[in-house]
Parts: sequence; structure tokens; C-alpha cells
Amino acid sequence: MISLNNVTFKWHKNDKTPTLTISKLNIEKGQHVFLHGPSGSGKSTLLALLAGINKATSGNVTLLNHTLNTLSNTQRDVFRADHIGIIFQNFNLLPYLSPIENVILGCQFSKKRQQKALSHSATLNNEATRLLNALGLAKQYHNKNVAELSIGQQQRVAAARAFIGNPEIIIADEPTSALDTQNRESFINLLFEQASNTNSTLIFVSHDENLKPLFNRSIDLISLQETL
Amino acid sequence: MILTKLALKSLLNRRASVVLTLFTIAVSVMLLLSIERVRVDAKSSFSNTISGTDLIVGARTGDIQLLLSSVFRIGHTNNGVSWQSYKYITSQRGVKWSIPISLGDSHKGQAVLGTTPDYFTHYRFAKKQHLSFSAGNPFSTIHGVVLGSEVATKLGYKLGDSIVISHGMGNTSFHHHNDNPFEVVGILDPTGTPVDKTLHIPLAAIDLIHGGNASHEHDEHDEHDEHDEHNNLTGHPKQITAFLMGFDSPLYTLQIRRNINQYKPEALLAIMPTVTLKDLWEMLAIVEKILLLFSFVVVLISLLGMLTTLLANLNQRRRELAILRSVGARPWQLFTLISMESLLTTFLGCVLGCALFYATLFLGADYLQSHAGISVNIAMLSRYELTLIGVIMAAGFIIGLIPATRAYFYSLSDGMSIKT
Repeated sequence: MISLNNVTFKWHKNDKTPTLTISKLNIEKGQHVFLHGPSGSGKSTLLALLAGINKATSGNVTLLNHTLNTLSNTQRDVFRADHIGIIFQNFNLLPYLSPIENVILGCQFSKKRQQKALSHSATLNNEATRLLNALGLAKQYHNKNVAELSIGQQQRVAAARAFIGNPEIIIADEPTSALDTQNRESFINLLFEQASNTNSTLIFVSHDENLKPLFNRSIDLISLQETL
Repeated sequence: MILTKLALKSLLNRRASVVLTLFTIAVSVMLLLSIERVRVDAKSSFSNTISGTDLIVGARTGDIQLLLSSVFRIGHTNNGVSWQSYKYITSQRGVKWSIPISLGDSHKGQAVLGTTPDYFTHYRFAKKQHLSFSAGNPFSTIHGVVLGSEVATKLGYKLGDSIVISHGMGNTSFHHHNDNPFEVVGILDPTGTPVDKTLHIPLAAIDLIHGGNASHEHDEHDEHDEHDEHNNLTGHPKQITAFLMGFDSPLYTLQIRRNINQYKPEALLAIMPTVTLKDLWEMLAIVEKILLLFSFVVVLISLLGMLTTLLANLNQRRRELAILRSVGARPWQLFTLISMESLLTTFLGCVLGCALFYATLFLGADYLQSHAGISVNIAMLSRYELTLIGVIMAAGFIIGLIPATRAYFYSLSDGMSIKT
């Protein structure tokens, strides 16, 4: 499903030591993986490699049988649009779109995801509504101004955007760091529920090790890089 | 499609600053179009002032001075042309018609022109159009006055009203010729030329109001000397201000002009109005170019204003760019998005500018007509004006490429890391 082999990444060609070195990492389909490590341990770099924003300096990053480092920039952008949903830490939404429109944006750059979304519901609007309901955002907020939503509500919208059109891989980059403990767990459970429904692979990045027990697999980025 | 929608929504979201930018662009477009329209129309009203006249002859001054005084009623000539010279010159071979004119009197600030009925048959303007009457007829008695359309509307005169002419120019003339009132016998159609602002009276009446002895003579003749009416209207002036001539063939023009300029008994000057009009306009061309330059600078400033706002906003929008990247937008799409916003802003600015332009025209046309004598055309945008708008749009687009290029590189360097 996801495999990294002898991957190194340098920001600049002339850097002496790579920012990230991963000799081997495999993630199976449908797994919910907790990826943790202190700041500066290379979490963001790894995510950028997985999302195809950056290209490995050496080694292979393979997702769904596509070796990302052999694809062109545009092909990687298309791949990301088709197969990956991303949830950020905070400020996930475009301020000038309504929650519904923000969700639909998730499949706006990918024909594949649009088709998949339309196989669930008659219109993209209906599908966005369905997902927002499933993620627990009450109907009256669906067309509100994004700025009027709480952080927790915004993160639900962001999650719905990541899930629309059933991408195979969901990457969540510290999505709960701005939430309180109670919201944090219920939000993670909603993510699990959705991921299981669509059999998506969930990669959840956080520095908060308290969340570790909730996941069926956890990877420590520091020790991962030390097993050279 | 999605990009257009995003560009529109994002513009709507930043209404306040966008509206301001739009407004500055609109005002600059309006300014540029108005200046251009007035310039072009001024030029055509100007060159339309007189046509079909081959020579204008007056006392020797400068070409332009003679044109200004005889056609535009601007300035003053101290000397005139003696009646004998007029008679002599116009009796030459090839002269088809001639119109003597005598200026120097006024009525409530409007110029009074003494002439013969030939004026109404031979004077032509614009594309060789003749003067036409909206009411009444040319004067047929010595007390008849024919009003230019603007004089009639401005002073509220109608046929049959009686008017008193004062000596000299201006409202505050010292001497009113109270004893010789005139009766309005005709009102001309508007021409968009100084004719509109002129009162036309018979040449003989000029003598009359200056206390010439013609006065009593005429009272006697008027009733019973009808076949001599033409002479009565002309009278026997000592001198006239200038006269206009038309020839059987334009080939006579240069020859006769040379003869007049070398005319021994009196220092005279003959000008070809079309040539002198052109010279005059070229003198004014520098003003015209400065105006044009200024309006272009105003457009440039408004576009730079747009650039400033776009660039200032862009830093705050890096997060937005990262989100779009995360859902699969490619860097060139972000480039398109940002350049589309500036293109849309410029486009809407131009549309609004055109609307403002027409509003200004509607409000200002009358003022320009009455105060500057420029008849502004409230017509569709000319090809030239559309080109100007096209140039502005292109400039707006090119300027928009600067923030768009920055967005492109932000999206590459930031990737998905959200910069706040």
C-alpha cells in the first residue's frame, strides 16, 4: 500500500546531512497509523514526501503501486488530488467558501473523486451534506460563514473535505492540537469511523503521545530513522 | 471553471479593498475616456467651424488672429477692410460669392455680426452644410435680426421680440443704442459653431446704430423702394471687419490670395481657413498631448494601486494557497487564479469606468456645449476608445502577473506547510 525504501531527503542538493532518512517503512491498506515525534523530527518532511509535494532525493516512495519519485510534478499533483485527502492542524478552510463548498473543494480538482462522490449521492452538494452530518456538524452550520464556526466545527468540515470522493489515503497533520481533550477523542473516533467505512488508510501525525493508545499501529519517527 | 468561481468568491470576500481598487480603476478609465472623447470632439467641432470658404480677407495681422476674430469671434482687429477694396477684390474674375462681415458690437455678451443676406446662402460649416432656420427667415428689413440657436435659447428670445444692441463687446457696455431696437425675424438651427452664439443683423444696421446718417434715409426708402432692398440692407459702410469668399474653382484661390496679399492701396491679408485651422490646432496639440499623458499616468497609478493591494494580500493568502495545493491544485492553477483576480478587477473597473464615462457625458455635454462650444458626441465607444480600454486591460493583466508569479513560487516553496 505505502512503502518507503532507502529514502533520503535533502532540501538543497549541497546539504551534507539529509533532513530525513528512512530505510524502510510499510503501511498496509486500512491501517490507522499514529506517527509521532518531537518537532524537528521530520514529520512535515515525511508528509510532504507522502503527499507528493516534495520528491525524495534518493530511494523510492511508493503509494498504491505508483512510485512517486518517478512521476513528474504535475503527475504527482494529479495523484494527490485523486488519492489523498489532507487535514491540517488549523485554519483548514477557505474563508470565502461556505462549509459545504469547502467540502466539495476536496473533489474539485479530481475527476476520479468527483465520480466516486457522485456514486454515493446524486449531487456533490448532497454528498457534502451527508459527510458533514456523518462527522457531526449540525445542519444549521452547513451554509454559515466559516469564520462563525468553532475550531472543532472547522476541523469536522476539513475532515469531510478529506473524505469526500473516498481517497485511499488520509493524511492528518496534528488536526487535534487546537482541540480540548474531550473533542480530541471524539474527533479521532469520527475519523476512524469514516476511514473504516471507506477502508481508507489513515496516517495521523501528532506530537501528543497520549493519543497513541487509540491507534492500532504507532510509529516513532526518531526510532524509525535510527534503525539505519 | 472552478478557478473562475474561486476567483470571484475570493474577490467578493475582500469586497472592501476590491471595491476601492475597482473604483480607482473606474475613475481613471472614466478620466481617460472623457479626455479622449472631448479631445477628439473638440478637434472635429473645431475643424467643422467653417467649410466651403476658400479665402477669408481682413486687415493685415497674423493668420491665426484673423481666423480667431473673423470665425471664432475671439480677440479684436483694430483695422478693417475699406469698402472700396472689398468691392474691387470681389469684382474680380472667378469670385463666385462673397460675404462681408462687420463685428464689434454685442448684445448681452453675445457677438453681433453685420452682414448681407448672402451669409445665409453661402456660409457653410461641418461637411459643407448650409445654415438652416428653425424659425423665421433671413432679415429683409434693416431692423431684422437673426439669432444663433444658442442666443435664442439662452436669452429666451422668440420671433417678434425686440432687442437692443450695445456698442462694443461685453455686458457692461457704456453705450446702448436704445433708439434703434431690432426685431427677431429668424432663429437658426444649432450648428455647434460660434454661429450659435451670434446675432446677425444687416450690414447697413451697423452704420445705423453707430449714428450714421443712413438712419433717416432708410426710414424714407423702406416703404417704397422695394427693388433696392438689397442695397438698403448693405448700406454704404466705410469699412468692414473682414469678408469671406468662394470661387468658381479652387484653382483661383492661390492666385487671388497672392494678389490680395500684395494689394497696394491697403495692407490686407487673405487666409485659407482650412489651412489656418490646421495650424491653430497644431498649436493646441501640445496641450492635448499633455492631457493625454496625464490621463495615462492616472491609469498607471490606479493599476499600481491594484498591484499593491494584491501583493499585500498575497502574504496573508499563503495559507489559502497551501490548502488549494493540498486538494490537488497545481502551481499553474494558482498562478491562473491570482492573475484572473487582477484581470477580473481590471475588467470590472473598465466596465464601471465606461458607465461613469457615460454618466459624465450626459451630465457634462450641455455644459461643454454652452461654455466651450464643443459638441460632445454621446455615441457608442469608438474603435479607438475600445483600443484604449484593451490597452488598460492588457496592462492590468500584465501587472497581475507579478503577484501571480509570486503565488506560483510560494506554492512551490511552501508546499503544504501552512505559513501563518
